[in-house]
Amino acid sequence: MPAIFTVDPRSGVPIYLQLIEQVKRSVALGVLAPGEQLPTVKQLAVDLTVNPNTVARAYRDLEHDAVIETAPGRGSFVRADGVAKQTRAATDVAGEAVTQAVREAKSLGLSAAGVRTLFESALARWFPEEK
Amino acid sequence: MSTISIDRLSKSYGKCLAVDDVTIEIPAGSVFGLLGPNGAGKTTTFKCLLGLARATSGEVRFGGQPLTPPLFESIAYVPERSVLYEWMNGAEHLEMQRRTFARYDVARAKELMELFSLDPRKRVRAMSKGMRSALAVVMAFAIHPETLVLDEPTSGLDPVNQRAVLNLIIEAAAQGATVVLSSHQIGQVERAADHIAVLQDGKVILAGAVDDLKSDRKIVEGIFPSETIALDGLRRDSRIERLDQSGRILRLTITADGGGLAETLSQMGAQSVRIVDLNLEDIFLNAVSPNMQTADVVEAR
Repeated sequence: MPAIFTVDPRSGVPIYLQLIEQVKRSVALGVLAPGEQLPTVKQLAVDLTVNPNTVARAYRDLEHDAVIETAPGRGSFVRADGVAKQTRAATDVAGEAVTQAVREAKSLGLSAAGVRTLFESALARWFPEEK
Repeated sequence: MSTISIDRLSKSYGKCLAVDDVTIEIPAGSVFGLLGPNGAGKTTTFKCLLGLARATSGEVRFGGQPLTPPLFESIAYVPERSVLYEWMNGAEHLEMQRRTFARYDVARAKELMELFSLDPRKRVRAMSKGMRSALAVVMAFAIHPETLVLDEPTSGLDPVNQRAVLNLIIEAAAQGATVVLSSHQIGQVERAADHIAVLQDGKVILAGAVDDLKSDRKIVEGIFPSETIALDGLRRDSRIERLDQSGRILRLTITADGGGLAETLSQMGAQSVRIVDLNLEDIFLNAVSPNMQTADVVEAR
């Protein structure tokens, strides 16, 4: 089975943050269902060829963010608290993307009004039913 | 499983000070990458760590204790220069290892020989550089060591076998072993290690957790409408490690969250502001040759 996550170790973004982001995204997209078991720290470290303590750190942070839970001796699972948590994970992931897009637009010299126009047309395109 | 503390270690050969007051703490169960240019003192540090060279001053402790013969039984060392015997074959080297280490695992050794496609009947004399490296790695991992000291363990190996060695390191660490690793291939260290130290001229010039070093260091780059940029406020800012200006471009190497400074540059009138993440190679080059770093970033973007 191919690893469900991929990381880019050469990136300046710390590997544990890349993993956290991917787990949150997978939960938001339903690729990881509530209650589904995650690979063990050792398994994921070997699959991705990354340091096991780094994977463990990502899992600890995900537990802290209430995305996953770990049952001693059984493994780590996606929390089954239902849609609310998933929505929050989705908001996290999408929020970062929007922040980055706005920052880029500003750094390219666009005005707030210009960004708003872009945003409105993107909304109109992806949510045609709400217009 | 124990923490390795290198405490104010110095080692001189005649007038040459190879290791100069080095203090490093290697957490138990971590993979610790020792980086540095050639001649920085990595190999000498390893030799002092293992008691193969007598420190001029300072000490090394394993879990608070000095190195003793029983402890040595659980340590595997892959030296930078091969210590294999030219006239012996692979099987004979493994037999030597079996007689030396009570923890030697016959089945594990066989498995590892197959992993690297090594013929146990082949004499070292007839082996390529890569095969020799692989045999040294097999000998190290066949004793299920609790501590591994690996000095350039992948040199001469092809990419497939390099990856196999990295995975052995990662498996060992996942089972609680402590690994100290040196490699010129920063990409390998970036994958396998959770902590690093950079040595230069025998001194530690940078040390920390890899993820923290990455999180802590960023470049904030602003492009201004003219070459006249008011830098006075920035020069007093303790978050800024380096400040480079070339024409209308201002580049800040910072050791804190870049968000605030990006906004500062924006308020100062920058037309464009970017935050650039630094990978381990950038951080390494920045540490060993501060002037090269800027040129690299310019080239890479």
